[in-house]
Amino acid sequence: MSPRPPSDLNPRRDPALDFPDRDLGELSLEDYEQIGFLGGLEVHQQLDTRGKLFCRCPAGRRVTNVDAEVLRHMRPTLSELGEYDACALMEFKTRKEIVYLLDRGTVCTYEIDDTPPFPIDLEAVKIGLEIGRLYGLNLATELHVMRKQYLDGSIPTGFQRTGMLGLTGEIPFRVPSLGIDRPLRIRQVSIEEDSCREVSDLGHRITFRTDRLGTPLTEVVTEPDLRTPFEVQAAGRLIAQVARATGKVKRGAGAARQDVNISVAGSRRIELKGVGHHRRLPLLTHIEAFRQLNLLRIREELRNRGIEPPSLPDGRAFSWTTSPLVIEASGHLRRCEYAPIKDAIDRQERVVAVRLPGFSGLLSHRTQPGITFAREFSERVRVIACLTDRPFMIHSDVRDYGLDPTQWRAIHSALEADNEDAVIVVWGPASDADTAAREILIRASEAHEGVPSETRQPYLDGTSGFERMLPGPDRMYPDTDTPPLPIEDGWLAEIESRLPELPWDRENRYVEMGLSLGEAVELGASRWAELFDDLSPANKKVARRLAHALRKRIPHHSRLGREAPTAEPIVPLVRALEDESIRLEATEAALDALIEHPEKSAVEVLASFKVTKTVHEEVERLCGRVAESAKDLTDRSRDVLMRWAMGEVMPHLLGKADPMEVRQRLETVLFAEEAA
Amino acid sequence: MSKDLYKGYRDPCLSLLKRHDVTVWCELEAQTSRGEFHGLLLPRSETADPYHLVLKLDSGYNIGIRHDTVQNLKKVGYREANYKIPEQEFPRDPEKPTVRLFGTGGTIASRLDYRTGAVIPAFSPGELYGSVPELADICNLDTEKLFGVFSENMGPEQYLILAERIGEAIREGYDGIMIGHGTDTMHHTSAVLSFMIQNTPVPIVMVGSQRSSDRPSSDAAQNLINAAHAASHGPIAEVVVCMFGPTSDRYNLLHRGTRVRKMHSSYRSTFRTLGDIPLATIEDGFVNPIREDFAPRRSDRDVLVQAAFEEKVTIVYYYPGMQPDVIDALAEKGYKGIVIAGTGLGHVNRKIYPALERANAAGVQVYMTLQTMWGFVQMYVYETGREILELGVVPLANMIPDVAYVKLGWALGVHPDDPEAVRRLMSTPIAGDMTDREPHDGYLVLQGGVPESAKFFTNVWK
Ligand SMILES: [Zn+2]
Repeated sequence: MSPRPPSDLNPRRDPALDFPDRDLGELSLEDYEQIGFLGGLEVHQQLDTRGKLFCRCPAGRRVTNVDAEVLRHMRPTLSELGEYDACALMEFKTRKEIVYLLDRGTVCTYEIDDTPPFPIDLEAVKIGLEIGRLYGLNLATELHVMRKQYLDGSIPTGFQRTGMLGLTGEIPFRVPSLGIDRPLRIRQVSIEEDSCREVSDLGHRITFRTDRLGTPLTEVVTEPDLRTPFEVQAAGRLIAQVARATGKVKRGAGAARQDVNISVAGSRRIELKGVGHHRRLPLLTHIEAFRQLNLLRIREELRNRGIEPPSLPDGRAFSWTTSPLVIEASGHLRRCEYAPIKDAIDRQERVVAVRLPGFSGLLSHRTQPGITFAREFSERVRVIACLTDRPFMIHSDVRDYGLDPTQWRAIHSALEADNEDAVIVVWGPASDADTAAREILIRASEAHEGVPSETRQPYLDGTSGFERMLPGPDRMYPDTDTPPLPIEDGWLAEIESRLPELPWDRENRYVEMGLSLGEAVELGASRWAELFDDLSPANKKVARRLAHALRKRIPHHSRLGREAPTAEPIVPLVRALEDESIRLEATEAALDALIEHPEKSAVEVLASFKVTKTVHEEVERLCGRVAESAKDLTDRSRDVLMRWAMGEVMPHLLGKADPMEVRQRLETVLFAEEAA
Repeated sequence: MSKDLYKGYRDPCLSLLKRHDVTVWCELEAQTSRGEFHGLLLPRSETADPYHLVLKLDSGYNIGIRHDTVQNLKKVGYREANYKIPEQEFPRDPEKPTVRLFGTGGTIASRLDYRTGAVIPAFSPGELYGSVPELADICNLDTEKLFGVFSENMGPEQYLILAERIGEAIREGYDGIMIGHGTDTMHHTSAVLSFMIQNTPVPIVMVGSQRSSDRPSSDAAQNLINAAHAASHGPIAEVVVCMFGPTSDRYNLLHRGTRVRKMHSSYRSTFRTLGDIPLATIEDGFVNPIREDFAPRRSDRDVLVQAAFEEKVTIVYYYPGMQPDVIDALAEKGYKGIVIAGTGLGHVNRKIYPALERANAAGVQVYMTLQTMWGFVQMYVYETGREILELGVVPLANMIPDVAYVKLGWALGVHPDDPEAVRRLMSTPIAGDMTDREPHDGYLVLQGGVPESAKFFTNVWK
């Protein structure tokens, strides 16, 4: 039976509250197991098609030109139960103006929702099916285009058109360096249109560029089987590698982006959105795991203190004026010298103070490196109440700036707050300050649940911030503008007939060529795997040495800005290694010389590395010369002397003479007397 | 009637379902030659092919499974969907104006059956309040659903009922009328109502949507809200169309019912006033007239309703090479009126002159309008025009062909036995259907790509 998607909750409900905060790299697999770390990936990969998925605009053109602007709003629609999500409606009321920048060459009336979709791009569907096949999925026989709602404005229609291609597969997941050798379960692959690129998000106005909008993507979703931050990274790399094997996906910046789902024991799935580089995954997921653990600690502390969640009249849609936990604070702060508040009052804005019963000290509880629980509140306020001019909030756990003690006392007494309570003061335009007060109470009540369901925006330092609430389950419904598309057996047969070599098959081939599994995995994932294949070393020794040399030298040269070499000039080196006319030890040096001197012919470059007929005479001559110089060094130990002598001689003989022969010859000339 | 257990499924899928004893809304495990699938069996669209089963997966996606790949179907559960729009009572405020909303079948407000994708119209005040609660801040609302037809099925039969019902509502004292209408033929209905209902003391506002309201980017809510403003407190007592101004969510335009036309198959800003400028803009709750010659709101109830329509009327869209038998056939079939959409200033080729003459002799009224949409019929400039006039063809100035068609149907309906009266009505502007003059900006089709329009789009039209 096909697996049912697990609920948002981590299967383990017992948080490891006593597990101390540690840095990435300090934890073992067992440690992550103890905190109940679970990760899953949703990888979005742009396909290399000529056109977009539902219109005939060109795909993959990035522009900065703006020919026109369109302004829209996103209005929440009725949910499946026929009700508006109070939260969505409230967000709509504090609504954002969404501005789309249009460039004539990359966008037409389809993308801005003024023309119905054109037939789906079959080239993209076929690439998607091929990718699904590579993940070993059960493929659909009929593609149904669905609408997935997004109210954040990133798609002008308010929904993304998407269709399910296949379900339930697995691929070999072998990473010897991490001790991984098991299947990676793939839940599904869908095909969908890419969203807009965000340009800016200031206050009530968010601006998007539309060039990328509508580009075909596949979304690959793994099961939440990843047990450490490094496994998340390795899985991301593997998934990308499989898609790239088709040769029909876009590469480069922004062409593949992943959403990561993380939970720990006692928490629920949190989505980190749009991570562009695999190398960022370990730190982000590690920090997120501990953020969740810290939120669970805060929940535990609230329970220990016997605190009840603040009551929220009318759910999310209540007005703060009805809550005894909120006051308009401007009156108490007339003489406030703290510039941000003073200026706000001068601008006739509103200052509100919110009492959080029993929260004293918790707002300064650490959640992420250098970040405290208070940030969870300010992020919410920033996003939902659209307050952007920082600072817009202070709180009573940090009293060394902002208000003076008299003012804090006045606000506490107006709120009837005691020492066990925390107070947050927030200011901004009146309606935004109202929203902020409401949002602060909502976030406080969520602290009693532990980890609220949300999607988070990853930052470059590895921390993350609130992006939006996780959308409800009702966001998917059929697209009435597109007919179902039968997926013909003939297409699958065609895909089957020209299937590319899969990463694990390639790795197995490398192992057969003489590489260890670790080396094979590394080579397979590298940029020079194709170069290696083109060079096709004929024996195990040469293969292994060549793989090693490429791994050591190619990144070095590319750092120096040299172009990656083609196979042509290097083939003679490999052939020479095979027939032993160049010795293996010379591989790296010869490779360097070939790359550094593209103007010379390979024959010319390799000449100096060749084993020559006169090599024995040369060995004899060099050893003799060294023995002469060694006469001044007789006080050194035999080992030291030998190492020095080899160092003197070998650079001249690298690749030409067998080091064993040189060593024996040196032993003779250096220590002959002793022996005699 | 027994419930349809296999909704939409035909053979070969139907017998497959019966063989495995499963029906729609069954939760299934399907074994197929392409692997195993688990999901809820959905009804099949009647217009889709008969070869696939549709499953709703737990992820919310639908997926099709071809009948001949199925090896086994196992029922593991049953979840039937049942949908209804919850009604919330529309709040009444005696201080606020009261508007009557007539429904004709277009779905201005609707919600979606998330599993099947079917659109369920929302229409009662409670349903409307449920989906556009802002309406309650503007007015009290009474609704009446007159028909359940798509826009393209609106016709004379519906025009008559609609005009009568609007007249009654005005006499009952409503402060304004709104008509929910599909957009495709909204301008035909707005034109015919402009003739059938004269001297209205209150606004009669037609409204619809180009994007259904189950979409977050729908124009429906803004259109409804602005139409409610126009109908409940707006100053313009005419039949008007209230739809998007630009494609951006910014303001609506009020177009005079006889000068408006749907000009794009899918754009939000599809309705344009032709050969003139619109009556007003509506933004942030304010109706801002942009011209002064509108009929103002009055407090009396002296409305004149003349609901009549002769159906044997047609439009002939002229093309080079048209054969005379087209006109002869219409006359033979008993058509009483023909509106020609002629070329240029109002021309047809000489070959059909004899047919026009025969039609005229047979008592068929023939009128000339322009397929250019903009500009005036001027049949004196060229000799051909003068010849056509002599054949009894009556020029209709800058009347839009669609408007001329409904006006002729109405005029012949009102005066079935008085051709002179019909000709008089047709040649006299009644509701702005013909104008004396065209302002310089009455014709505006900006040419894209040229520097000045590029400048306009970057700086102004946002
Ligand atoms: Zn396009």
